Amino acid sequence: MGGRLTRSQIGFLWGIVMPVIALFIIIRVIPILIVLLMSFTNFNLNRPLTRFLPYQNFTRLFGDPNFLTAFINSTEFVLIAVPLEIILGLAFAIYLNRKVRFESIYETLYFLPYIVPMVPSAIIWKWIYAPGTYGLANYLLDQMGFARVGWMSTPQISLLAVIGIHIWKQLGFFVIVFLVGLKNIPSDFREAAVVDGATPWEITRKVDIPLLKPVILFGVVMATIWAWSAFTEVYIMSQGTDISTGAEIQVLVTRIYAEGFLYFNMGYASAISFVLFIVSLIFVALQFKLIKVEST
Amino acid sequence: MVGAQKTTRGWRRIGLHLFLTSTSFVMVAPFIWVLLTSFKRSTDIVTETPQLLPQVWTLENYLKLPQVAPFVRFFLNSIIVSGVSTLFIALGSAACGYIFAKYRFRGRDFLFFLVISTILIPLQTYIVPLYLLTWKLGWINSYQGLIFPLIIMSSGIFFLRQNIMSIPDELIDAARVDGASEWKVFRSVILPLSVSPIAAISIVNWVYTWSLFIWPLIVANSTEMFTMELGLMYFQREYAVDYGGIMAACIITLLPVLAIFLIFRTRIIEGVAFTGMKY
Repeated sequence: MGGRLTRSQIGFLWGIVMPVIALFIIIRVIPILIVLLMSFTNFNLNRPLTRFLPYQNFTRLFGDPNFLTAFINSTEFVLIAVPLEIILGLAFAIYLNRKVRFESIYETLYFLPYIVPMVPSAIIWKWIYAPGTYGLANYLLDQMGFARVGWMSTPQISLLAVIGIHIWKQLGFFVIVFLVGLKNIPSDFREAAVVDGATPWEITRKVDIPLLKPVILFGVVMATIWAWSAFTEVYIMSQGTDISTGAEIQVLVTRIYAEGFLYFNMGYASAISFVLFIVSLIFVALQFKLIKVEST
Repeated sequence: MVGAQKTTRGWRRIGLHLFLTSTSFVMVAPFIWVLLTSFKRSTDIVTETPQLLPQVWTLENYLKLPQVAPFVRFFLNSIIVSGVSTLFIALGSAACGYIFAKYRFRGRDFLFFLVISTILIPLQTYIVPLYLLTWKLGWINSYQGLIFPLIIMSSGIFFLRQNIMSIPDELIDAARVDGASEWKVFRSVILPLSVSPIAAISIVNWVYTWSLFIWPLIVANSTEMFTMELGLMYFQREYAVDYGGIMAACIITLLPVLAIFLIFRTRIIEGVAFTGMKY
């Protein structure tokens, strides 16, 4: 094609595509810029006067025990969920890729929790973790001769229990993505290794994983962003548990929700968003860099 | 020698299947457990020793749901929100995908960058200004408010662009020589040739919007605007001890997604792997 656009093309461009672009600017670009600006104010929906605070929100963050708990919990979320999701996802994908029978059934079952909405999933888990005799998790522990665990009442354990739900939910995505990646590796590589007498484990280590590296790195970026911005599972799990546990398992986004939409401290909530954003941005930048490396 | 090798390989196969079966069982066991529980009488649910199968199969947990909370309304709200969103996404992605694939004009790459660059920034990050915008527009607690942040999708545009790039220019030019307007070209050449990728992103988007929680939580504040997810959350908060009812409500919330998934399994996996893969 090339050359100039015809009148009809210009009409199409402005009639349909530009409105969509405008929506992107209104719904995403501008709010992202505004949240950065708002993080330097004390904006509150219930207070008419808004003041500019050059650094107060950020100094306040680091003296705010709620924020610090949330920050540490979100970090723990990332540090535990990401490696497990990647390693388990890789293991399942590699096993599924060994030409097993019923592969598509396994694939479907692994993927099921990922596709199902989080709210019912989290409620189901909450019930499994229930205290006393009727929680399935404690019942199974009993049957196996272990002591019962206060899944939702011991703070350290309840955070791990929530991270467990998150991993269970997201794992299927990584299995699928890694499996697709493995299928894209030309079979000659593996065949050549077999001719050289390599064992399956050697093939995995020396052929599959190195060639899958870009996909694995992509997976790490996605897993990190999702773990870092987890909300629903934490929110559902902290409902109705005793208040202290709810406070112990809070994460960055539940803090944004509480400050912004329960107390209407939107300036301060934006400062927390700022922290969330900067870390996400680092990962987006990393991702773009990876794509560049990949395409050269 | 060969025989021995064969048996070790046989054992390895069995081990592999054991591993895959047991792990995939863990993935679905919670759903099976809840499905079975939802058919139990309420007196059989909280017991000293949990029973796997219902002693008496009953539908009472399902039948009472519409009486205790307006679940029919929640269900319709969810259908409206995800349906309208998906309609916008399907058309918008196809049109933008066409432009970014086939038009050449100054600023195109910049606009494409603008669309793609926000892809990995989660909604949670800018939810405060988005709420304020909705509030200024007077759309709190309305369908417009629930839907409007969901009518754009970066990966949808990217996915359609990739697919439309493979449509030969000759086909488009032939239609243009025949005097077709761009809208006609889009409708009679681009859309028919993109049915499959449009279906893939539509299904993925439908599932995504059906499952969304944080946005309805903030924007919908009266019962008649609740989506299924939100209704379910309030229901389990209000009726915390009615386990049978809660489990039945959980099953109803996840059933549509499950059905869609089982019907369009390959499309969904392809779509998710792509929207994930190429963001």
